[in-house]
Amino acid sequence: MILIGELSLWVALLMAAWSMTVSFAGASMRRDELVDSGVRGLYVTFAMVVLASAGLWTALLTRDFSVEYVASHISSTMPSVYVFTAFWSGQAGSLLFWALILGMYSTIAIASSRQRNRELTPWATGTLAAVLLFFIATACFRANPFTRLDFMPVDGRGMNPQLQNPGMALHPPNLYLGYVATAIPFAFAIAALFTRRLDAEWLGVVRRWALVTWFFLTIGIVLGMWWAYVELGWGGYWAWDPVENSSFLPWLTTTAFLHSIMIQEKRGMLRKWNVVLVVLSFLLAIFGTFITRSGVIESVHSFTQSPVGPWFATFFFVATGISIYLIATRLKHLEAKAELESMVSREAAFLYNNLVLIGIAFAVMWGTIFPIVSEWWSNTKITVGPPFFNTVNIPLGLFLLLLTGVGPLIAWRKASVSNLKRQFLSPAIFGLIVGAAMLAAGMRNFYAVVCYILCGFVTGTIVQEFYKGMRARQSIHQESLFTAFARLVGRNRRRYGGYIVHAGIVMLFAAFAGLAFKIDVDVSLKTGETHEMKDPYGHTWKFVSQGVSTSDRPDRNVIAVGLEAFRDGKRLGIITSEKRQYLDAQRQPLFEPSTEAGIRTTARQDVYVVLAGVRDKDTAELRVNFNPLVMWVWVGGFLMMIGGMVVMWPQAERRAPQAGYVAVMPSAQVVTERVPAGV
Amino acid sequence: MISRREFVARATTGSAALLVMSHTSRAQQARGMVHDSTIVKDSSNLFAMDQGAALPVRLPPKPDAKPSMTPRERDDLEHHIHCQCGCTLDIFTCRTTDFSCQVSPAMHRDVVALVEGGYSAQEIIDAFTNVYGERALMAPRKSGFQLLAWVLPGFAVIVGGSALAMLLKRWGTRSRDRAARSTTGAQFSATRGHTDATAEELAELEAAVRRDDDK
Repeated sequence: MILIGELSLWVALLMAAWSMTVSFAGASMRRDELVDSGVRGLYVTFAMVVLASAGLWTALLTRDFSVEYVASHISSTMPSVYVFTAFWSGQAGSLLFWALILGMYSTIAIASSRQRNRELTPWATGTLAAVLLFFIATACFRANPFTRLDFMPVDGRGMNPQLQNPGMALHPPNLYLGYVATAIPFAFAIAALFTRRLDAEWLGVVRRWALVTWFFLTIGIVLGMWWAYVELGWGGYWAWDPVENSSFLPWLTTTAFLHSIMIQEKRGMLRKWNVVLVVLSFLLAIFGTFITRSGVIESVHSFTQSPVGPWFATFFFVATGISIYLIATRLKHLEAKAELESMVSREAAFLYNNLVLIGIAFAVMWGTIFPIVSEWWSNTKITVGPPFFNTVNIPLGLFLLLLTGVGPLIAWRKASVSNLKRQFLSPAIFGLIVGAAMLAAGMRNFYAVVCYILCGFVTGTIVQEFYKGMRARQSIHQESLFTAFARLVGRNRRRYGGYIVHAGIVMLFAAFAGLAFKIDVDVSLKTGETHEMKDPYGHTWKFVSQGVSTSDRPDRNVIAVGLEAFRDGKRLGIITSEKRQYLDAQRQPLFEPSTEAGIRTTARQDVYVVLAGVRDKDTAELRVNFNPLVMWVWVGGFLMMIGGMVVMWPQAERRAPQAGYVAVMPSAQVVTERVPAGV
Repeated sequence: MISRREFVARATTGSAALLVMSHTSRAQQARGMVHDSTIVKDSSNLFAMDQGAALPVRLPPKPDAKPSMTPRERDDLEHHIHCQCGCTLDIFTCRTTDFSCQVSPAMHRDVVALVEGGYSAQEIIDAFTNVYGERALMAPRKSGFQLLAWVLPGFAVIVGGSALAMLLKRWGTRSRDRAARSTTGAQFSATRGHTDATAEELAELEAAVRRDDDK
């Protein structure tokens, strides 16, 4: 099976080359048989990549250490689940995984849109085959997962224990699913640019796939945050590491696209901008992969000794060059007779939203690459870390939060004063009440207070939208509250799914602001000694050391400390933190020792204990953190995922045609009343 | 033109040939290779530490020196100094995260000594940059070329905002011109593209919302 897998990878390489060539040839010569052959070539490429993947999985699961990739990433003592996930934990395997997902997506996208988009499909097929060709070629020539060793090691090196975590098993595939999905809108955008068919035909396809991108990137990013929090032991979940930033960049541009596409659907505006955002999202996904794999920027996550960096750089610049050329030569076809009645309208709010999202993306990108720029310009090696990113992005993020509340409430075309008053009064009052409550509670951090005011405001807008829609349904259809809610959401999933996502965003912002009140202390405790401290809410905590214990397990040595925790005199249980030294089959140390933080989670705060070291056998060096509201990061992320699923869920029946983007509107008719949709 | 079957057959043969060539080439490369059971290539390490990266950052204590800041302020200061072990973290985060790093505790001891020697936060940061260079900082300086790091994002947002404002103004002018020419056209529905509801339902709903708002 391993040999079949290896052979299949080479066949996939040839088939991708064939598919690309005949698709482009068929499209330009308008020869249907070539176009059909290109599509079939794409399907066969996918089938071959599936076989190659099966071959690698077979090598991993049978622990065939004669395969270099297997020997480098698993060991005989590793649990099977992580042996399975080792497929994507290294350079070569993850490239094959990219190709596997891309093959699957391409097959689905082309098979489902072939009949509807006959003009675009050949070019899209060719583009997807070209991207596939690049990934398969990189896997074949620069990082082949089937490379054999000329000897059989006794055991494999195993996987870094910090990567043996459920979050890390799921985080990379979700990110890949998100990254790779950017290729489909990109391919259709390139197809639309080639054919100069930049009307609504490609819009439907790209919106669906942009949602897929957004959905999986959201899950991947949140899972990565969770992994960093529970596994790395530094008490935080986002460090503005270059690789974290790389996943955030396409998320930002895709989010911008999902908002701006509504303006194109409604008003036929922003054609150029939407094409740019689609292309940019794909290029940023490639850029992110390049950052992860090239080692040009220091990162906690980088793959070491990577030979694929120059290939990715070349592919990135070629794709960028072709995209720029196509957009530049088709500019006049992207012209739309844009009109805007007022700067106080939903269209304008979405444009401000795009400006801020792209502004944040630029700031993040600039901060990420600035160490290279600085080294190139002044030969000075510098680091750009959280102080920079927080300073630059917090104001922009708060403005974005404000727009999250403003956008959905403001009327299309032009908002009247009465519209503004009616829509914004209650949420604004609610936001101010929240702010006053925070000030009364003694909160003095400027950004945190502003953030909570805005969180209150946005929450008010969301609740108001649901309340009005449900009231209207109840009034018209005499439905129960639950039925009104279910049908309100079910009959307009895009709108109300979007509000659910916004609710998740509010939770995330509230949790981020909570970290401004984080408290951390270093303490040394002998067995039986106690340490008292106050948490951010003013409660007194007492920690009593239960002593340091050591244990030898088959695959690791463990040093652990237990702290008995009391809050205001009430016993809450024991929090345990560990240091683990993983061992190979000969009980030799593998990797650096890893940390298992002791975490006690509640809705108000996490108590986070890290065993930093042991002195004199029974003195534990500890760091104790009070991290307010961290749980809401995970709840918010989960809510965003639910909202994304609601938005993506296909409508069962569509009685009204999608017509907004071609609507011709009388400028004299000013729509000032808002209608909760889908009722 | 070749048939599909022929093509697949040739592709398979070609692949097999490529495979054989690739194996031959790898076998040649492997000749003379030292056998070692430790496989290190292509591993996704979290980071490779350089435990010898700590350099002494020492200054004589100021006369009658008292600690220049509280432990909490010192911890905050450590968030602005980059650990040199090869990670991407600051001293405080690195030293309190992983006890296998010997660089951040050494740098921490230097910070403590400087604080107890009466040096201010800026003087301590300067002392570290004198020894390690700019890479001792967690953010670019706000002077010289590095000022560009801070200025450019704001500048880009301002330029983008100005361009957007001009665009909106142009679109507004176009809209007013058209309004002057014609007052007829298709009725715009703010919800048509996003809904399954019928026009009758929407009209009924609009009336209900208005009734609700008027209450």
